[in-house]
Amino acid sequence: MDFKLSEEQELIRENIRELVKKYLDPIAVEIDESSRYPAEVIEQLAAGGWMGMPYPVEYGGAGLDYVSYAMVIEEISRSCAATGFTVSCHTSLASGPIFNFGNEEQKQKYLVPLAKGQHIGAFAVTEPGAGTDVGAATTTATLDGDSYVLNGIKTFTSNGPVADTFVVFAFTDKSLGGKGMSAFIISKDNPGLKVGQHFYKMGIRASQTSEIILKDCRVPREDLLGKEGQGLQIAMSSFDHGRIGIAAQAVGITQAALDESISYSKQRVQFGKPISKNQAIQWMIADMATDIAAARFLYSYAAFLKDQKQPFSKEAAMAKVFAAEMSTRHTSKAVQIHGGYGYIKGQKVERLMRDAKITEIYEGTSEAQRMVIAGNLLR
Amino acid sequence: MPRIIACYKWVVDEAYIRTDSSPELDLEYADKKMSDYDRNAIEEAMQLYEKYGGSVAAITVGHPDDTKGVKDALSRGPEKAYFINDPSFENLEPAQTAVILADVITAKTEYDLIICGEGSSDLYAQQVGPRLAELLDIPCVTMVSKIDLAGEQLIAERKVDDGIETVSLSLPALLTVLPDINSPRIPGLRDTLAASKKPVIEIVKDELSGNFAPCLQVLASFKANMERNGQKLSDEAADIMLLLDTLQSKGLIARGVK
Amino acid sequence: MAGIWIFAEDYEHNLELIQGGKELAQKLAGKIVVILPHNSGNDEKAHDCIARGADEVLYLPPLAKDEDFMACIPLIVAEVLQEKPDIFLIGSSLRGKELAARIAARLNTGLCSDCISLELSNDDQSLVMERLIFGGAAVQRVVIPTRPQMATIPPRLFSPAAVQEGRTENIRELPPAPPSRVKILGKKTRTHEAAALTEARILLCVGRGVEKEEDLSLVRELADLLGAEIGCTRPISDEMHWLPEECCIGLSGIQVKPELYIGIGVSGQIQHITGIRDARIICSINNDENAPIFAVSDYAIQGDLYKVLPLMIEGLKKS
Repeated sequence: MDFKLSEEQELIRENIRELVKKYLDPIAVEIDESSRYPAEVIEQLAAGGWMGMPYPVEYGGAGLDYVSYAMVIEEISRSCAATGFTVSCHTSLASGPIFNFGNEEQKQKYLVPLAKGQHIGAFAVTEPGAGTDVGAATTTATLDGDSYVLNGIKTFTSNGPVADTFVVFAFTDKSLGGKGMSAFIISKDNPGLKVGQHFYKMGIRASQTSEIILKDCRVPREDLLGKEGQGLQIAMSSFDHGRIGIAAQAVGITQAALDESISYSKQRVQFGKPISKNQAIQWMIADMATDIAAARFLYSYAAFLKDQKQPFSKEAAMAKVFAAEMSTRHTSKAVQIHGGYGYIKGQKVERLMRDAKITEIYEGTSEAQRMVIAGNLLR
Repeated sequence: MPRIIACYKWVVDEAYIRTDSSPELDLEYADKKMSDYDRNAIEEAMQLYEKYGGSVAAITVGHPDDTKGVKDALSRGPEKAYFINDPSFENLEPAQTAVILADVITAKTEYDLIICGEGSSDLYAQQVGPRLAELLDIPCVTMVSKIDLAGEQLIAERKVDDGIETVSLSLPALLTVLPDINSPRIPGLRDTLAASKKPVIEIVKDELSGNFAPCLQVLASFKANMERNGQKLSDEAADIMLLLDTLQSKGLIARGVK
Repeated sequence: MAGIWIFAEDYEHNLELIQGGKELAQKLAGKIVVILPHNSGNDEKAHDCIARGADEVLYLPPLAKDEDFMACIPLIVAEVLQEKPDIFLIGSSLRGKELAARIAARLNTGLCSDCISLELSNDDQSLVMERLIFGGAAVQRVVIPTRPQMATIPPRLFSPAAVQEGRTENIRELPPAPPSRVKILGKKTRTHEAAALTEARILLCVGRGVEKEEDLSLVRELADLLGAEIGCTRPISDEMHWLPEECCIGLSGIQVKPELYIGIGVSGQIQHITGIRDARIICSINNDENAPIFAVSDYAIQGDLYKVLPLMIEGLKKS
């Protein structure tokens, strides 16, 4: 068991830290406040090859192992969770299904520009009536000649407003239940696909989220992803991959909270001494650091299993639920350590606490994660 | 189409040096990094290559463990690296480094231009560049802030104590560059991964022929003691007035001005 | 007989090195030789050097306006090989450092760069020198086993040598130099700003703690009241471009030696501290209790500079 980062991994970490420090740190507060998509940062990331990390070089990616990929998501999220999520959603949720289930034509047409960061990807499965209960979706896809015609509304689609390529899930045969859902690749140019209402969120505000409205949306047969009826399998596989990214995102958020708390507690003087001398603060910091370390090892292990081509569903779920829950707990503590200042806009911990909460909800709620873990163990 | 060699040094990161009270310098677990101005040297070499064609190779003298440094250098663009290494090559002093570089550059390379940083982050002796130029018997310009090439002619701007001089010279030549000459690129992910696949020419001590006995002996190294009295004050009016009174009594400032 | 050779681009600096040479010559019994740039007919400086302690003055050959004085290196080297001085001190101007390294390479001898202290060893046989390393965080003490022992010396390490009466002269000139391989096409002299900073009695330094460029007006108001010059740390000149590069104080910027230095929102990175370590009084204002500058300050104000500066301005206006 080798816990040491390779030289490449160390260099990769140093480089992404430098990029983030130069381009993302200076705008993180502003993009959160105005809910602005950090196009200029995404451009830098695309130029540096950071938008298709785990995909093979022949598809425009970098061929990076998943452990390193997750580490990079953590580092970006440490500066801005919204940007970290934009990258991980684009890479794991949206590009993932095309890499894992697409045919060669689809990979060349859609995956290559996504991996190069020339296009942004989105993943549309959630609907107003179908969250954890994916099977309650009502979007349909009816075969008509050479195309499927999709009708329905998707909601909470991350990257929706900025995406070029959408992976959309719809029922081709509702009567088959779970085996009746299919996945489609749809370009934003498709006249039947419209970006609907934008959502202004509590946290990760720079990440763009919206409804996607499909009205008589004609999708050519060749853009069916995988086989008819394979949709649910594709969605679940996508979530497994995405979960590792979310766990890494949560660790990045909490690490930032820890850094802020350490620095603040050494500066803040009350009753004649810095509050870092108080045991209550020391224990909060100790607990924060311990949970961060544990979460980091958990997500790295899940990523390692994936790289080894071993089953990793349970471990990804464990990493996600543990990291998410500790991140909300500790970002709240971080605000506590900062006292009144922690509640003020512009203070990093104020944003971190708002950002953390979503990690317990999206890409499978904590409740859903527990179902996955228990399901695995009690088979 | 200049063939360019960029020299770099893999050094202890000085940020590691703890400012606690003990005078000993304990560098056993210190992180290492590419010397700051060498990043500018490699970047300048790459920018010249992108503008004029040719080739860029990196070269360094160090410990066999310094493989991360070789990858770091290669991830910044050079097509190959010369890695001259030996366990005894930790803490070389500039005269030795220059002799070793001259030896290898003469024996194993063909070049038009050598670029070095103005000084290394650790010793900042600012000697290797000019020494190397003398040993290779090529013209040298130090403290360069701008470079233009026209075939075999090089025009450079260099910093002197009272301004900037514009100079011209012919290749082959050696330049040392200032940090304000460029902004080193941040290696992209693919650059870092591709670095491991680039050729590294390793040269060990036995292959060297020059005399690189040390010309300078270090008797001791210890933390600089720059500590001062350190009277602590708050930002309250009373403390600030007290400070102004003290500075006035020392004859440093005058009050009631304007 | 041991010899102590001296060269500095700047004449005042040269006189300081002569003093250094004299202090060494007390124990080392050597003749002091000063190298001067060619002064076509006007021997005033040569006489002055001798009056202040030089035993011999060596003129560099005349050079055309576009020739780099580095062309004289082979001549200097030939002379050194013949006369075999024990010590060769060169003023650490930017060109001086280059000259020293190149001469040392030709002589295959050691060179201590930016020597901050210079004394003879216990047995008076060799120089023990100290220099800063790691951006100024540490000191290295060295000796040079080869000859001549070379060092570049910063300004103000020695005071200028005083004039003495009745000293005999020996002035000669080196043979002509080979053509310079580097031609000087032109020169832009820099603004007076940097010169003002090195001479300044009171110096204010702007650091990253200052939030906006507009806030420099507050710093300027304080500077006007104090009669102070304004410098900055590297990020302020190189990244923010609020002040020109010549105002950057630190390792690869300017070294200053004011009576009073006030750091405003300066954290105290080691490369900056190296530039101010010789200030008589160091005063700093920073919000961060752990700012490294506090450890090297005489007066450490932990607080908000936006509160402190107006208070200082108000306090200075009152008598």
